[in-house]
Order: sequence, then C-alpha cells, then structure tokens
Amino acid sequence: MAPKIGVVTFPGSLDDQDALRAIRLSGGEPVSLWHGTDSLDGVAAVILPGGFSYGDYLRCGAISRFAPVMAEVIKAAEAGMPILGICNGFQILCEAHLLPGALIRNDVRVFVCKDQDLQVESVDTTWTSDFTAGQIINIVLKNGEGGYVADEETLRRLDGEGRVILRYVNGNPNGSFHDIAGICNQRGNVVGLMPHPEHNVDFLTGPTQDGRPFFTSVLNFLAAKV
Amino acid sequence: MILASPSRRRVRLPAMARVVVDVMPKPEILDPQGKAVTGALARLGFAGMSVRQGKRFEIEVEGEVTEDRLEDVRRAAETLLANTVIETFDVRVEAPPESPEEDEPDDDEIEPADQSDQDESNEQAELAATQAG
Repeated sequence: MAPKIGVVTFPGSLDDQDALRAIRLSGGEPVSLWHGTDSLDGVAAVILPGGFSYGDYLRCGAISRFAPVMAEVIKAAEAGMPILGICNGFQILCEAHLLPGALIRNDVRVFVCKDQDLQVESVDTTWTSDFTAGQIINIVLKNGEGGYVADEETLRRLDGEGRVILRYVNGNPNGSFHDIAGICNQRGNVVGLMPHPEHNVDFLTGPTQDGRPFFTSVLNFLAAKV
Repeated sequence: MILASPSRRRVRLPAMARVVVDVMPKPEILDPQGKAVTGALARLGFAGMSVRQGKRFEIEVEGEVTEDRLEDVRRAAETLLANTVIETFDVRVEAPPESPEEDEPDDDEIEPADQSDQDESNEQAELAATQAG
C-alpha cells in the first residue's frame, strides 16, 4: 500500500491541489487535510502548501500557525513525522518555531516569480535523500516574502550542522541570508523551502522535473520504515 | 422609569481601557517597506527623513488594567502580535477611548440622575484616575 501523505488546506492556500497531484504522480496516496480539524487522518507525512493562508494577515503564517490542525502537526513533527513546508508552508513552520529564523519581504521589494537555479546542500533529510549533494536543480520560485533571516548564531549553527538543504545559485533573488532557500530541523524530518517542487513534477506544466525527488525521497523513507 | 434617560445610557457602558502595542522590526532586520516609504518621501520633497515601518495594535481591555492584565497583553504580544525573531514590541496603557455618544458629564453640569447613576459615574471617574496613574 502506498504511504499516505497529507496536504493541509488553510483558507487562502493556493498550491494544495498541485501538492496532492505531485504526491500521486510520485506514487504516494494523497490525503486532503483541513486546517480546522484536529486529526491527521492517519497520514505518515504532512505537507504545508504554498499560498496566502489567512490572507497573510498580521504576518505570513502567523495566524495559520495556530490553526487547530497545527497542534497535531507540531506534535507529529516532534515525534519524528516528515513535515515539508513549501513557501507559505515554510513561513508557517518558522512561525510555529519548528524551524529557526523568519521570512521577511524580499529585499527587491517586488513579488518574484521565476525558474530558479538551486544547489542541493544537504541530502540527510527525509525530503532530500534522493538528490546527490551539490546537485544543481531548477525549480520555480514565487513569493513576495521569501527573504530568510536569522541571527548570526543561528546561521552559524545551520551551516555548521549541515541544515541548509538548498541554496540559491546564479543570483540571490530575495536577499536571503547566506543565499538560503531551504533548511531543516536538527533531526532532518522537518524541512522548509521557498521554491515550489510541486510545480516541477511534469513537463506539461514545468520546464524540469527537479521537484520529484522531494516526494520520492519521503516515499522511499516511509517505505523503508514499514 | 420606563425609558432610560440619556445619562443612564452613558454610565451603563462597560468600563474599558485602551492598551497599545507597538511592534517594530528589529534595527538589524531589513525593512523594505520603510525603505520604500523613505524613497517616496524623498521624491515628494520631504528631505532628510528616514522611515522604519511598524504596526500599532489598539486593544480595548474590559475592566481595570491591573499589572496582571498588562502581563496578559504582553503574553498576547509575544505569542501572536509580534514575531520576536524579527520584531520588538512595546506595551503601554492609553486613556480610555472617547466617542461622541459616550461623553462623560461635566462635573458642573446639572443632570437629572438618580443616586445609582451617580455612584456608577463616580466609579468610572475613579477608574479613569487609577488608569491615568
């Protein structure tokens, strides 16, 4: 049986359907989760998708972070469940303190939407194990508030512990410190990234299929666990 | 009395105080919005003005603003209103809000009010005095 991966829909989520589709195309069983429930419906992993949950009111992810489903996501994350936050999902994970730092408005002061070159830095996470370290990939990036910031101590720790999973290459599109595009928690089960791998799983809708390994990584991890 | 007099209606309003929470981006954090505003001001001829943009929250708190209530507001600010990774916040008490229908009667104004109204009115005045202190 294919592992079940849940995708949370918040009011204002945009990319939940693409995430569900990416899971299906990668061989998993997609499960829709609603922000207002306190059940994860027996899924083995959770994706917090991109979009503008709660209209980005207050701060991106600040209100979603307290949605009923998030209490369960936080518990599951602490117990080791693979959790992936994409774009707005990354912002939610930072607001929930499952990942350190924060995402602020792009230094270029405009919404950035482009096919972005990235270097895979760490493959020691449940979401990146199917990549090879140092691999250059190209995935769509689209955000207004994607500037990753953290204090010096946190940045040193992230670099030192190999917890930067993705870095922008050929130009930093949004002013992120240390060109950080994605990070993971200490255990490597919680990953957040600004680019959108769920859009790069099919040549019909994206110039590459470089997003697929994120989904196959977790599916292989879950299959090996059973 | 069947119909409530205007003065009765006034003093029956719940005692409210306003607590203001100011949230600002930390100095070391880039403030692209403030930068954009700074640029726009310069273009408009307002020279020598550098802006950092934050948020102001006005919180109407029911009842007396005790140190415990202020502590509640501080916790609310730290939990939700500010992200202390990138922002700082400041909590302070402001004078009770004013609105046209809620005018407090002047001391020297002669108003037909029964004793209970007067008592409530005094209570409000006392409360206002505590809050001001």
